Amino acid sequence: MKDELERLITNNRHAIQDDEPLEGHFERFEARLQKASKPTRTINFRPILKIAAIVVFVLLAGNQARMWFLPEKEKEEALTLGSISEEYREVEFYYTNAIAMGMNQWEKLSNEGLVSEPEQQMMQKEQNDFDLMYQKLQEELKANPNDERVINAMLEYYQARMNIITLIINKLQEVKQQKNNKSNENLEI
Amino acid sequence: METQYQNIHQDLVERCRKGDTKAQFELYKIYYKPMYNICLRMVGSQVEAEDVMQEAFLNAFTKIDTYQGVVSFGAWLKKIVINRSLDHLKKRKVKFEELNEKIPDEEPVSIEISEIQMEKLKNAIQQLPDGYRVVLSLYLLEGYDHEEIAQILGITNVSSRSQYMRAKLKLREMLHREELFEYH
Repeated sequence: MKDELERLITNNRHAIQDDEPLEGHFERFEARLQKASKPTRTINFRPILKIAAIVVFVLLAGNQARMWFLPEKEKEEALTLGSISEEYREVEFYYTNAIAMGMNQWEKLSNEGLVSEPEQQMMQKEQNDFDLMYQKLQEELKANPNDERVINAMLEYYQARMNIITLIINKLQEVKQQKNNKSNENLEI
Repeated sequence: METQYQNIHQDLVERCRKGDTKAQFELYKIYYKPMYNICLRMVGSQVEAEDVMQEAFLNAFTKIDTYQGVVSFGAWLKKIVINRSLDHLKKRKVKFEELNEKIPDEEPVSIEISEIQMEKLKNAIQQLPDGYRVVLSLYLLEGYDHEEIAQILGITNVSSRSQYMRAKLKLREMLHREELFEYH
């Protein structure tokens, strides 16, 4: 049995339930609706990570295989100035040839007895220092293959090594010439 | 999808299933007022009621595929609105207490209403404590029985009745203070 209060409320249910939301609620809802209807871009990282892992594996395997099958000579070439461009390959070829010819000359003159023991040791030390510098430059070049400062340093190294050998060889040639002149003079006398 | 209940706005419901935002907005225009009033009676504040109501609509559109047409769309939506309102109240730490004490039914008191001021009545309902207001609104305004209210709020049937009786006592007291009721 309903009392007066219940009757009061139930009989006026529609009047009680007649409130309107605050002004602008249509616009606010429309905005929320638009926001909610936009497809959310959910990126599934799992397949991307799988692909990345495969790519890394293939690259590593490829590199390993290349290192395994590449002839020893090519492996060395890959670390030099010549591996940067064809032009540098030619420059490098010129310097290495000139240095090699200089060393051959040195060996020849040494065998002729024109080089003393202390001079031999000094030359050996010079060559060791150059080899050490070359290794460091190779490492630099490997880390920064496009860095012009490293490339210039490499070129300067070749020039310096060639100039020193040429200088020594020229001096030795002079000494040899002087010796020859002396012996010719003695013969004439 | 075959539906058992043919709504007046069935075409809109079907368009909403396809994600048509215009249809969704149309359904909002049709149902916003009763849904807003449910929210307002339950959560008690205009701003919060609007937020909860709109959230309930968005929620309904998201899971509209689960609407199988067993009841009207409005009834289905109302259920979502009530659940969202309850979720909101739970966030505010409102507890629907288990009151198992037996409050005897009141003797019908001869109360005559000399003057009804609707706004004062609405305000008085709004000022009831959350738990009382929710039970009273669901019972008197939404037409649920205590069995259904108990199920919705997760309390016992007896507790729902006790809350309701206390809500009525409190409301009567408030209205008396406002001199909306006069005892003869």
